[in-house]
Amino acid sequence: MSAGERRVGAIRVAAAQFRVCVLRALQYRMQFWTEGVLGVAWSLMGIAPLLVAMQYRSEVAGWGVGGLLVLTGVFTIMSGIYGAMVQPALAESMAHIRRGSLDYLLLRPVDAMVSCVTAMYSPWRLLEVVAGVGLVTVGIHREGVFAWEGLALGVALAFLGVVVLYAMGVLMLAASFRALRLENLTFMLEAMLDFGRWPIGVFRGLLKAFFTFVFPLAVLTTFPAEALLGQSRAGTLGVAVLITLSFMFAARIAWNRGIRHYTSASS
Amino acid sequence: MVPRVAAAMWRFGIAEAVAYRASMFVWVLATCFPLVSLALWSYLAEEGPIGGYDRGGFVTYFVAAFLIRQLTSAWVCWDLTRQIRLGELDALLLRPAHPVLHHMMSNFAALPMRAFMALPLGVGVLIFAGGGDPVAWGDVLRTLPTLALAWGIVFSIQLAVACLAFWLTSATSLYEAWLAVHLVLSGYLLPTSLFPERFAEVIRVLPFHAALGFPVEVLTGRLTHGAYVEGIGLQCFWVACFSVLAAFSWRRGLTRYGSVGA
Repeated sequence: MSAGERRVGAIRVAAAQFRVCVLRALQYRMQFWTEGVLGVAWSLMGIAPLLVAMQYRSEVAGWGVGGLLVLTGVFTIMSGIYGAMVQPALAESMAHIRRGSLDYLLLRPVDAMVSCVTAMYSPWRLLEVVAGVGLVTVGIHREGVFAWEGLALGVALAFLGVVVLYAMGVLMLAASFRALRLENLTFMLEAMLDFGRWPIGVFRGLLKAFFTFVFPLAVLTTFPAEALLGQSRAGTLGVAVLITLSFMFAARIAWNRGIRHYTSASS
Repeated sequence: MVPRVAAAMWRFGIAEAVAYRASMFVWVLATCFPLVSLALWSYLAEEGPIGGYDRGGFVTYFVAAFLIRQLTSAWVCWDLTRQIRLGELDALLLRPAHPVLHHMMSNFAALPMRAFMALPLGVGVLIFAGGGDPVAWGDVLRTLPTLALAWGIVFSIQLAVACLAFWLTSATSLYEAWLAVHLVLSGYLLPTSLFPERFAEVIRVLPFHAALGFPVEVLTGRLTHGAYVEGIGLQCFWVACFSVLAAFSWRRGLTRYGSVGA
């Protein structure tokens, strides 16, 4: 297979897995409430502190009400993508690793990493993405700053953010080849994502560097939101691309090392 | 008889907590939202105090909220709903002690371990954030009874919701919806006194605030003696309400229990 064919194969695998999971989700319609609506409620509750803060201050780190709505919207989109696509796949793959049933995934004629990150989806949680897009629209409308370039840049940066999210997921997956019982690590990652609700400017010094480069929440939420508001600084895209590439690289290396530790049944 | 059984259950719970310490540590880390809030509010307070809280005040408040959340946690809702759904409750019903006593002790016994893990984290954040307002020893003592009552509220509401599993399949989701409201209104995301005045007055009598915000405010020395006594009364009221509710739904539900899994 050529590199191009392999990439097409990966996308087709992802699409097929997604279709199966959508069919299953349509079977369990109760999950619309228990996963979808609850997920939206959990993401939106974080807006309360920002709204209260606005009673006391006219802006937070240079962000007005409209800007914060956009930021919360981007956060909600990211949290929805994590909950719908990344977290379920990680939990499923970790269970495979623990039980030794990863064998069946390894035997498939696709890249094993692709098989793992597409292992499961929770489509109802995409409802959060819809809610997030709504918030972004309201925020941009309030600020009156809509521009096509901003939208394009914002979407591009958000895409990089999703890639980083997946890369962090693969890093965790690689870790679970060594230490088992790490399913609740995926919940911890979700809890850490909450720091992305606030503009990166809220953090100082070491913490700011940490949330930009080590645990790059800035790439996930602040950068796309700034771009959508037309306030992107020059070089943001470059920084984001660099961070994304290094995370992809690190994830692939960690994966290759991790999979060597896999000893099939009862590993 | 009962004290001996309870003591045995306590030892069992401790052993369980020690055995699953790694996964418990991750849970402690996953409930770090007050520290997320701390980042926002201490930044905002740099320009001047907000609603009676300066930077140090916020640091103390949120570290206290983090610790008290750990010390008043329970998970009987998730355990009991699973037992009801899968029919695992049988084993507990056959024992010569009440199943609720089992859950109470196993939830309760995990608290020392949780405190042991959360305290260093709290102290670390306190130092990293540049120190907070000092806490008086007298206030620590005054907090102890409010902690017990707060745990009572959390445990009894979880029990009451878990008993709905005798009728519904997704009782835990109901509790998670409750939890989402709890996070906003309890003082977990922000001190409830910062809400607009009229709104704050209403939510400060709800069980959410009694279960978290009230003990935190006692610990940080923000309440007068009158407000303290009033708050304790309110806590007792909510514990009584939810306990009655839980007892009622437990009795009604048990008659529906099919034992082979529903």
